[in-house]
Amino acid sequence: MKQSTNQLVEHFFRHESANLVAVLTRAFGMRRIDLIEDMVQVAMLEAMHAWKQRGIPGNPAAWIHHVAKHRILDTLRREKTYEKAVALSGLSMADQSINAQESIVDQWLEEEHLPDSLLRMIFVCCHPSLDRKTQIALTLKTLCGFGISEIARGLLLPSETVKKRVQRAKNSLATANVQLELPSNDQLTLRRDAVHDVLYLMFNEGYSTSHGTEPIRDDICEEAARLCHLLCESPCSSPATKALLALLLFHAARLDARTDEDGAVILLEDQDRTKWDRCLIGTAQSWLGQSKTDQPTTFHLEAAIAMQHCLSPSVEATDWGTIVLLYSRLIQLRESPVYALNRAIAMGQAGDTHEALSQLQKLQNREDMKHYLLLDCAFARIHELEGNKEAAIDSYLVALSKTVAPHEKALLEKKLRKLAD
Amino acid sequence: MPKYMFIYRGGHEKIKHASPEQIQQVMQMWMDWIEGGTEAGWMLDAGDGLKPSGAVVNTDLSVTNGLFAESKALVGGYSLVEASDLTTAIELAKDSPMPKSGGIVEVREIANSGKQDA
Repeated sequence: MKQSTNQLVEHFFRHESANLVAVLTRAFGMRRIDLIEDMVQVAMLEAMHAWKQRGIPGNPAAWIHHVAKHRILDTLRREKTYEKAVALSGLSMADQSINAQESIVDQWLEEEHLPDSLLRMIFVCCHPSLDRKTQIALTLKTLCGFGISEIARGLLLPSETVKKRVQRAKNSLATANVQLELPSNDQLTLRRDAVHDVLYLMFNEGYSTSHGTEPIRDDICEEAARLCHLLCESPCSSPATKALLALLLFHAARLDARTDEDGAVILLEDQDRTKWDRCLIGTAQSWLGQSKTDQPTTFHLEAAIAMQHCLSPSVEATDWGTIVLLYSRLIQLRESPVYALNRAIAMGQAGDTHEALSQLQKLQNREDMKHYLLLDCAFARIHELEGNKEAAIDSYLVALSKTVAPHEKALLEKKLRKLAD
Repeated sequence: MPKYMFIYRGGHEKIKHASPEQIQQVMQMWMDWIEGGTEAGWMLDAGDGLKPSGAVVNTDLSVTNGLFAESKALVGGYSLVEASDLTTAIELAKDSPMPKSGGIVEVREIANSGKQDA
């Protein structure tokens, strides 16, 4: 075996496993997905065993595709259900020879054809018969090649829950014999909106620091952006897809700066802005530029806000007036207490602490905001801005009483110490 | 200098249900260890892995199979190293990825290893 380099590309096995599951499921049908996943796992293990001492072959992807394809074909042949598999695959060519089937798989595995199978799989994982949480878990398992325990760690769920969720989803898609096809034109908008939602929520799951800062969570963000990029490059994308990608990339640019070496959270206002990834910010700007439409979505507006932060050298120099306007437009599109809260903070930052406080007080009366820690933090921030130290301390203390999460406690205590100085 | 054969046994069960990322990490661990040993000079031949299937030829020339696939101590591969004595060889084996991945390393001196240098 020819030895190339001793380094595989990052996440090689993860992504190849996703590629193989997508192509093989497209070829042999959703009903076969458990078998396909098992055979892909076997191929991964065989590759590791063969490469670990002798080095990686010149074309590792081709090596692994070849092995996985043969494992599944051998099994199907052995089961003597090949004819049935062809019939179920939707290729509807009962007399098709196994060689022809093999060559279709080979073709779909070619680099330029891979995105097509992945795209079809995205729409399957975000199938309307599944709820959002299940769609997210299934996407991470199937399209991102995550293991059950990795998903559990990333989403802060018990492994058993994730396992059941994924298995139930696969069973129901298999029973319904869902095909790996792209949505029809009349369905596309609706189905694409579901994919956007899943990618947005998936990214948030990974990004939200209230869940801790395990490295696996950054991987979730990276995967959401990767799949969004895939959708952007396809004919199924819309201006909203591009705005969503811009939004995810603006946030991703700040991933490394939002925690310190100990994993403690650093708030936007305290982040070292030289640590922001300028290259990603540039890419995000370019996608936002390509997303132009006369009907901007919430993604467009959220991306525009994120861009304001990313391009500003400091909190003080930030164009808070523009941010207030953008939040107002967001609220017109979709009423949300979280948007209202952020607009209030922006108002305070823009200098209008009076209006900011009256907005926050309105929010305080909402039942769903009663236990919302960030509302008290927002009050504290505005009090700080108006120079009312005592009121700020009081608000942080209220916030502190509402959380048990250690890193949130640490963050609030840090704020309190700073104010007490 | 004496030569030793590292015979890798077991560890298959633990990795069977590993995620793709974990599989990649285990492989990277192997490649880093081998690269380190090759550069330091004590890894003479990284050796290879052995597939789990095969056959056994018995004394009566009957042939059986599947005998070892059941075994937890199934030989999964081998390497050839050089070390001043068994203690040193054992230390090298301890650093290998085997113990970490749920398997064991059998360390055996090559019978005529001293003479091979001549």
